Amino acid sequence: MNAQELIESGNLELYVAGSLSAEEAKEVEDAIEQHPEVKEQVELIEDSVITLAEAVSPPLSALIWSQIVENINRVRSISERKPSTNWGAITGWAAAILALAGIFWMLKEKNDLQDRVRYTTTQNAVLEEKANKAESQLAEAEDVLDIVRSKEYNTYTLPGNQAVAPQSFAKVYLNKKDKIAYIDAKGLPEPPRGKVYQVWSLTMQPLTPTSVGLLDSYAESDTKLFRVDMGAVAATEAFGITLEPEGGSETPTMDQLYTLGKVTP
Amino acid sequence: MKQPDELILAMQDGDEKAFSKLYTMYSEAMFGIIYSIVLDEGDAEEVMQDVFIKIWDNSQSYNVKKGRFFTWILNIARNTAIDKTRPKAYKNSKKNLSTTNFVDILATSDNLNKKTNAIGIKKYLAALKPACIKIIDFLIFKGYTQKDAAKEIDIPLGTLKTRNRKCMQDLKTIVLG
Repeated sequence: MNAQELIESGNLELYVAGSLSAEEAKEVEDAIEQHPEVKEQVELIEDSVITLAEAVSPPLSALIWSQIVENINRVRSISERKPSTNWGAITGWAAAILALAGIFWMLKEKNDLQDRVRYTTTQNAVLEEKANKAESQLAEAEDVLDIVRSKEYNTYTLPGNQAVAPQSFAKVYLNKKDKIAYIDAKGLPEPPRGKVYQVWSLTMQPLTPTSVGLLDSYAESDTKLFRVDMGAVAATEAFGITLEPEGGSETPTMDQLYTLGKVTP
Repeated sequence: MKQPDELILAMQDGDEKAFSKLYTMYSEAMFGIIYSIVLDEGDAEEVMQDVFIKIWDNSQSYNVKKGRFFTWILNIARNTAIDKTRPKAYKNSKKNLSTTNFVDILATSDNLNKKTNAIGIKKYLAALKPACIKIIDFLIFKGYTQKDAAKEIDIPLGTLKTRNRKCMQDLKTIVLG
């Protein structure tokens, strides 16, 4: 169809009315592109229709347009409104979170402090105990010093028995007048379980051992200094220390003689 | 009238002023079409709002290179108006539309549109053949397909097309001089 044929076909009128098939409409569109007279005809047909339709129109209220504008702006403002940042709410939440964090921090601090106080209290008790112990040890040491320094006491060293314990030794501080002796057993090995050192006072002619005491609670003693009462012993020429079963023995077990030493008269 | 492609493109870009100008250019014609279908001013106003909101919202679906803008909005106006007149079950049928046509409206209207010299048109439309009134009413105002219009008027499709052309030429002479 050339331009003139198309104009006379009646398709332009149907094109404006919107009742052409897509195919026929395409043909008209192509013709409009190429032929100004086709376009002009379409515009004239459209103008006729518009004028007719306008003639039929009742008066148009201005309110209609204002409502259309209101509507599209409302839709627009809803759809385009960026999610506004509610600083008030954010600040509120932030404050609440901070406050909570603060409370938790303070609780933790309090617990830590309580723990520390508890620890310190324990520590104090331990220290106090240590101090007490140190004090008593000091007193004990002073006592020992007094003994050692005193002219009432004579010091004797009991060398180790070469056959049993060559490295061992013991010291005896003996007060002959008051019949008191202190045995310094630091040079003896710790007795095995179930055994105990027993101190013997000996007279030589004939050899007579007399038990003067057990060095029990050897492990617990810090100074390893043991007081021995010699009141029951008539005379002492030598001291011997043997390892005996717990509770001690009637007579010394000679093959467990650790130290032996003479005492000068 | 040349199609205001620049305004249409601006509206498609969201330019409300361009939309406003397009409304001024086409609103009366659309209102006439709508009114001829719903035959009630209040309903026509409601439909009118819906139509132009649809035009704004769906402006992207119109392509200035394909079809007339007028034809595009004419379709929206007719379909929205027809939807308004029908119970939902019949929505997709264009049949059973009121037989009241544009000439009847012009004949009974008291407050004719001054802007478009409706009085003069009213006088001359009487000269329009009754067959033409039917054809124009069906094809332009009611949006019938050619097939439906031909069936309704009881003429062959080809005859409808040539008769419509003649009627439109007569109309052109009446309304544009």
